[in-house]
Amino acid sequence: MAQVVLREVVKTYGNLYAVNHVSLTVEDGEFVALVGPSGCGKTTTLNLVAGLMPISGGDIYIGDTLVNDLDPKDRDIAMVFQNYALYPNKTVFQNLAFPLKMRKLAKPDIERKVMEAAKVLDIVHLLKRLPRELSGGQQQRVALGRALVRDPKVFLMDEPLSNLDAKLRVQMRSELKRFQRDLSATVIYVTHDQLEAVTMADKMAVMSGGVLQQYDSPAQVFDNPVNTFVASFVGSPAMSLVPLTAVTRGTDMSLQSPEGWNLSLSPANARKALSASSDKIVLGARHSTVRLHKQASPGAVPGKVYTVEPTGDITFVQVYLGAAVVVVSLEPSVAISPDEPVWIEFDQNKMHLFDGETTMALKAA
Amino acid sequence: MTSTLADTSRSAARKPIDWWRWSGRVFLLFLLIFTVLPMAWMVLTSLKSQFAAMQYPPQWWPAEPTLENYRKLLDPSNSVGHEFLQYFWNSLYVSVATTILGVVVAVPAAYAFSRFRFPGRTFLFFAVLVRNMFPAVVFLMPLFLLMRRLGLVGTHTSLILTYLTFGLPLSIWLLKGFYDNIPIQLEQAARIDGATRFQAFYMIVLPLSSPGIIATSIFSFIGAWNEYVYAVTFLNNKDKLTLPVGIQRYFTEFATDWPGLMAATFLMSVPVVVLFLVLQKYFVRALTEGAVKS
Amino acid sequence: MSIATELAPAPGRRVGLMQRVVNHRADYLYVLPALAVMMIVIAYPVYYTLELSLFKTPANLQMKDKVYVGLDNYVTILTSQSFRDVTVNTLIWTISSTLISFLLGLCAALALHREFAGRGVLRAVLLVPYVVSAVAASYVWKWLYHSDFGVIGALSVQFGFTDRPINFLDNLYTVLPSLIVVNIWREFSFAMIMLMAGLQTVPDQLLRAAQVDGANTWQRFWHVTFPHLKGVSMVTLLLLMVANFNSFIIPWVMTGGGPAGASDIWITQIYQLAFGRQRWGLASAYAVILFVVLMTLGYFYVKALTRGDEARA
Repeated sequence: MAQVVLREVVKTYGNLYAVNHVSLTVEDGEFVALVGPSGCGKTTTLNLVAGLMPISGGDIYIGDTLVNDLDPKDRDIAMVFQNYALYPNKTVFQNLAFPLKMRKLAKPDIERKVMEAAKVLDIVHLLKRLPRELSGGQQQRVALGRALVRDPKVFLMDEPLSNLDAKLRVQMRSELKRFQRDLSATVIYVTHDQLEAVTMADKMAVMSGGVLQQYDSPAQVFDNPVNTFVASFVGSPAMSLVPLTAVTRGTDMSLQSPEGWNLSLSPANARKALSASSDKIVLGARHSTVRLHKQASPGAVPGKVYTVEPTGDITFVQVYLGAAVVVVSLEPSVAISPDEPVWIEFDQNKMHLFDGETTMALKAA
Repeated sequence: MTSTLADTSRSAARKPIDWWRWSGRVFLLFLLIFTVLPMAWMVLTSLKSQFAAMQYPPQWWPAEPTLENYRKLLDPSNSVGHEFLQYFWNSLYVSVATTILGVVVAVPAAYAFSRFRFPGRTFLFFAVLVRNMFPAVVFLMPLFLLMRRLGLVGTHTSLILTYLTFGLPLSIWLLKGFYDNIPIQLEQAARIDGATRFQAFYMIVLPLSSPGIIATSIFSFIGAWNEYVYAVTFLNNKDKLTLPVGIQRYFTEFATDWPGLMAATFLMSVPVVVLFLVLQKYFVRALTEGAVKS
Repeated sequence: MSIATELAPAPGRRVGLMQRVVNHRADYLYVLPALAVMMIVIAYPVYYTLELSLFKTPANLQMKDKVYVGLDNYVTILTSQSFRDVTVNTLIWTISSTLISFLLGLCAALALHREFAGRGVLRAVLLVPYVVSAVAASYVWKWLYHSDFGVIGALSVQFGFTDRPINFLDNLYTVLPSLIVVNIWREFSFAMIMLMAGLQTVPDQLLRAAQVDGANTWQRFWHVTFPHLKGVSMVTLLLLMVANFNSFIIPWVMTGGGPAGASDIWITQIYQLAFGRQRWGLASAYAVILFVVLMTLGYFYVKALTRGDEARA
């Protein structure tokens, strides 16, 4: 296994940036997830690492080798595709053997390695079948097997679980993570599903518009999103964002809504708000850090219940604060109904403040 | 599966008569008779003696059926049979050569049109398509002069070269449709697994496109086998004639031998009809591919 | 500023056409053989036809003796009575063959669309005339139309339509319709197979929805099925039309354009001028005229096809 380094990587289509100066380092044995909405450049980035499309600028290193101009076959990588890309006219055995055959291994070695991989993945009984005779989950395993038969420097995975049904996806998620741990494999994993990234990855790279927004551990990304995009993309339900205006009265600082209510800020939060480039501030809060009151309460601001979504162990309530929606989680035992007037209290220690102009997270000056 | 005009039977089961369905059946019966009668009469005539065929009113059923006409055509020791078998062989040679060369040239071109985004690609592709529009006769005169200049008049090469361009646009168009349906990830996977771009094409894509290759081959073969205009113009040597032209010679020399002509026509149709019946699925797919989008 | 979810424009990196051609030079290798063949056999003839159409050519085919006459050949053709007669024949031939084949094919496709025993066999049988060579078809029908011993003439006497066999191919008024029948016999199944494929693209749910909404069989056809067939129908009609403009074998083999030019169409006329009377310049000009007509049709063909392409993309 090896480290992968992207340095100022650029891919242009015509005169658009598909990948805009992306730099990141994937350490040896690390599982890195590239996440973002569709069209954010994550798959393009993966294809650049694979060598499936020419790079427009920057450098990519796999191990110590600069691979910019190397053919995919010379990069010593393995890849799992979203549609599995199993060779339809070859049996499972032949599919698994193909990468070894192309590398001119001796026949007994090929057989031994294929059997090893098949045992690990529990697909020995499928070896003689054709891909079209397999279920989606089985095809997925074979695709994984084709990557595992070799010891590549890095595994590239392009949404490998997104064609599976929900239950199988959860199961494969843990299996995949287990394999990666056991092999201490270097994995670059593309997904649009932030939950997959959060649950599996050592680090996640959140992309949007071809730009790398944040590259950090899932916990860091979850707790300290660098901007409103990351804040709203990671976590389910998403972080609630409320655009407000900062008002200073003497030494006190508060956030004012267009409807007229005020939310006083703690001294620490006030210092953050002062560093903003204007008086426009976006307040961010995860559902678990928000309290809901049925009566007016000091420090709580008024709102109105929009919908109530019981999920079993938690009930999510969407509350309108003026034009903004705030999600609150409640015990299922709390009785609440739409259109009820409620009061919302934010936890000053856990709230996030973002610059309303630049969307960047605010830090104490 | 789908229900349309003719398919109202289930919903209309309680009605005494389903007029749409019955008129559909009557119509199909009419079409079947229209289609089959001429062919049936050809076969019936070919089983008659010359004398039995030239009667009025005609013998509806051969009174004394005979295979004499076929025996004569297939017997190399008699001059008629010798010529006929020579024509048959010529047709086979020209058609097979056209088919093979056509595949060799069309496959890479179709693949390129399907996969690569090179400048001029769209223009080239429509140039290929528009060739479908051109009448054979427009090309006949200049090609005749060209072949004369190249010293190819009277050779089978001149026909093969010409038929090749006849078939190419359609072959490329059909094969491109097949390549479009092969996911590009298969090639990418192969390249990551250690194949060069060419190996990925040769080892993965080519075998997958064999239905397309079969379909286009049938088309080229049938087209070449049936072609008449160029053959009649380019070939001047009696030994070189292909069947459609050879049969015409035969007709004018033995102008009155209708049963013999019908037998020859029958034999000439056998290869293409058999080919069509065996590979019907591919033929139909090739015919409709591209024009019908789902 | 907000976070870009759209791709940012890249600065000043417009790649020139030449550069792109160079970048893709390897791709052209794949199309090169096809291109080479087509250049020789298509581009050159088109050019040569255009050139010849401006010359008076000697009958001995010594092309170096040809004389430049400008547009004289075109004037000669367009002002001649025979051109008008042949054009009328060509239009009758093309339009009636196309429309009747299409209608027969449409009805056959609709009737064949529902599953029944023997459907596959029936479809195959109906397609046989399309596969068989036009030369074979011409001889068979020539025999059917035979003035003395033809089965059609005998049948029409048998059923009391006429007193004596009609000489179909030697009569100014019956010859063209007789040939059109042969042409339709050969090509209606092409329309049938295209439209059958088209019918499979009609969404079942729409038809059921229409049925629930109370549409009867005819209304379902007219409001749901037919609109879905528009694209296929356009392509089929154009292909038939082009094929009919170009069809040479049936009139040539069966009548040679006779009697007295009654079954002469453009294409037989061109062949006659070139290879019968050795008037290559005139024939070339004729060919160019045909060419222009077909290019116009070709334009619509490509348009009909690419519209489908966009819909698919």
